[in-house]
Amino acid sequence: MNERNDTSHMKILEKIAGIAASERNDYLMQAKKSGKKVIGFFCSYVPEEIIHAAGFIPYRMRAVASSGTEKGDIYFSSLNCTFVRHCFDKALKGDFDFLDGIVFLNGCDHTRRLYDNWRHADIPPEFRYMFVAPHKVGTTAEKRFSGEIEVFKKELERYFNVTISDETLAASIKLYNRRRELLQSIYEAGKSKEVPLRGSEFLRLMLALTAMPVEDSIALLEEFKGEIQGRSTARPGDLRIFLASGCVEEPGHLELIEELGASIVANNICLGTRNFDLAVSEDDEPVPSLAKRYLYHLSCPRMMNTSRERLAYMQDTCREFQVDAIIAEKLKFCDLWGGELFLYRKESRKLGIPLLALERELYGGSSGQMRTRIQAFYEQVRNRKSTADDLFCAAGDDYQAGGKN
Amino acid sequence: MFSRKKQLRSRELLKFNINHRLNLLYVALFVPRLLYFILRILRPFYERKENWLNKTWRYGFLTIGGGVMHPAEMRAYRAGIKAVIDNFKTALAAERNNEPLAWVEWILNAEIIEAFDIASFNTESLNIFGNTMGSEYPPALIAEAESQGVPVENCSAVKLSVGSYFLKQIPEPTLIIAASHPCDSSISVYQILEYLTGVPTFSYDAPYWKDATSYEYFTMNTWDLIDFLEKQLDKKIDWEKLREVLERVNEINFYLREVCEMNRAVPCPGTMISLALTWVIREVAVRSPLAVSMAKGVYEATKYRFDKGVGVVKNERVRVLMWFPPIGFFTYIFKWMEHEFGAVVVADFIGHISTIHINTETPETMVHDLSRSQLHLGMGRQCHGPVEFIVDELEKMLEDYSADCVFFMGHNGCKHGWAALKIIKDFLKKKGMPALYLNLDIMDKRHTSEQEIKKEITDFFRSHGWA
Repeated sequence: MNERNDTSHMKILEKIAGIAASERNDYLMQAKKSGKKVIGFFCSYVPEEIIHAAGFIPYRMRAVASSGTEKGDIYFSSLNCTFVRHCFDKALKGDFDFLDGIVFLNGCDHTRRLYDNWRHADIPPEFRYMFVAPHKVGTTAEKRFSGEIEVFKKELERYFNVTISDETLAASIKLYNRRRELLQSIYEAGKSKEVPLRGSEFLRLMLALTAMPVEDSIALLEEFKGEIQGRSTARPGDLRIFLASGCVEEPGHLELIEELGASIVANNICLGTRNFDLAVSEDDEPVPSLAKRYLYHLSCPRMMNTSRERLAYMQDTCREFQVDAIIAEKLKFCDLWGGELFLYRKESRKLGIPLLALERELYGGSSGQMRTRIQAFYEQVRNRKSTADDLFCAAGDDYQAGGKN
Repeated sequence: MFSRKKQLRSRELLKFNINHRLNLLYVALFVPRLLYFILRILRPFYERKENWLNKTWRYGFLTIGGGVMHPAEMRAYRAGIKAVIDNFKTALAAERNNEPLAWVEWILNAEIIEAFDIASFNTESLNIFGNTMGSEYPPALIAEAESQGVPVENCSAVKLSVGSYFLKQIPEPTLIIAASHPCDSSISVYQILEYLTGVPTFSYDAPYWKDATSYEYFTMNTWDLIDFLEKQLDKKIDWEKLREVLERVNEINFYLREVCEMNRAVPCPGTMISLALTWVIREVAVRSPLAVSMAKGVYEATKYRFDKGVGVVKNERVRVLMWFPPIGFFTYIFKWMEHEFGAVVVADFIGHISTIHINTETPETMVHDLSRSQLHLGMGRQCHGPVEFIVDELEKMLEDYSADCVFFMGHNGCKHGWAALKIIKDFLKKKGMPALYLNLDIMDKRHTSEQEIKKEITDFFRSHGWA
């Protein structure tokens, strides 16, 4: 790679890192200044296209740059997950004062109570909407989800006195599909040995893109895609990791995983494939098409009847991305990802893929402990890779990396 | 803690209930007055705490009143006990004979299964009936699930089902009916059970709101379930059988609604353990005609006192509202409070009946009303939506039942409950209502023991001048 390319892609990565590090950024603030409204939303089951077609900027809620959970802890218990406690803490401190509306989702027991506590504490903005997503896929759920999107659309129109026409919605769908397509192609590049983009960098990119107008994000992505072409981040001996989790939003944590001798080449996280998997059909009616896409995209464990598909995705991804090992994480007190980790453990053992299950707090520190666990895991995986099968078996079951997870 | 794997034989806990404990109680309850006197005389040997001598009968004795329950109520329990024995026997027989057996998650009742004439089993049964062999058994099943990788923080009520499955304490299913409410633990654990058993699983999806669209959606889920069962069992639904069971359910609901109404009287004529136990019987054996007999018996015992204008305790001193689920391993809490402090639990989270009357005229009305009724079962109705479902009902209860104080049963696994605590606290503070906030695990005594719970309640009553 030549020196010019090296400098320019460093520049764009730095720019993205800057955007990702804070809850607000220049793109967002400039749009806000020009009169655009910003609508925050939780969870990858909220159809951003509806918000965008209303003329607003969908903003993915986050806890980045959180300074603690002291205020959030007044409303939430220590048995609630740190994502909601940090988010609520930030809300109470006024960090989201740029929002004109907020859309909650019945994603899990913790986030659905965000809707209740937000109203109880009467934190701005005034427009607080609970968007309800089914917990299963199928014809009945699809019909219900379509109806829910229609109601959401009408409520935005009524409250903000705007009109969302089929044409504007179709245009929004096109834009978001374009963003999905670009992200997919960048993500797919991870299949190569060169690994043009590290997992931590990809997370920063996602954090940035979901906090700015989609038009700007597409421009940024197009530029970015060009810049990273031919780039290689792979180091000799790096393990190729598949990361599965819920709301991971700390690039620093992913850096830790990678700096110990690995590249996160594939993922199943909220701010990852679940965001850009599956395009919306542009040939059919917009609302039912949105319902279909948002219901059938790569699911999270909140969906009850898709666990087999998720496990199949894990298996296929590991094969396609030539994954050496899986790191599956959950935030403390997350029942949904707790159950998913159980399934991952059983399935990865069956498939013979080493797995490390981590439980941690969002922005909880303890990087020393994480470092030790990850290092030990990598060592086991490497030993396994470089040891003949018969010797490996002779060492007993406990020797198998991830075998006792 | 004992070595679980060595000690428990296959299906031992269920068989112990069928052959010994529940069966003995059932026989003894043919002479409730005599049993009452025996329980009264033996009280010093089992009432205070469990030991090696009393551990296999203490829980049963205390649950049927520990010698301080009126024999009329005890007589009513006989029918419920028989209904449970029959259910366990049928489930084990279905497994033995390779016949279909449906696991039905605890938040749903098994009326629909009756219309297909196959055996059903409440997967969480051993949360209650596991205690009859000694109170260490449910925690042992929970510990087994945890040791296999089920998250420690999952609700113990469903976690126990995984442990029961691993330790071969419950019959193997041929299909599972699960639900997305009341909490994430149910969603999570039933995916685990589906994975482990590998059997076809139907998931009910509870709506968030309680409006026409939401009920319609839940009703559609029931139609989908019928479709699912017809395909899996290769037979058509028998609408006549469904009508029969739903008419019985209407009868149960009538009696229990009347009991709830009567409990508003001062002094309160009913004991909450009866409503809580009827809830358990409904869970396990709603299909049995004996469930109606139990509800009727409880109604008659309460009505007798109501007509005479007397309370379940002679000197009622405190009226307690218990919010969030009651304690599985300490069912005696109600009678203990009545006996020790004259404190009567007048209403609670699960015993209160707000199910609707089911119109059995046509298949459509049956499916519609049954769906709506399922969504109104205890815990289900409060926990699937916004916090108003919890607080509004609490407010109504406070007004209807003239309560003096509230016990918040802070169950470890109820994350959404803990996330709503500040709202509940603020509400009760505004009402000027004294409240005790307990931190426990309703199915796992390792978290907070019976003695610790008793101490907290005693201290609370003392600090308010009620003891």
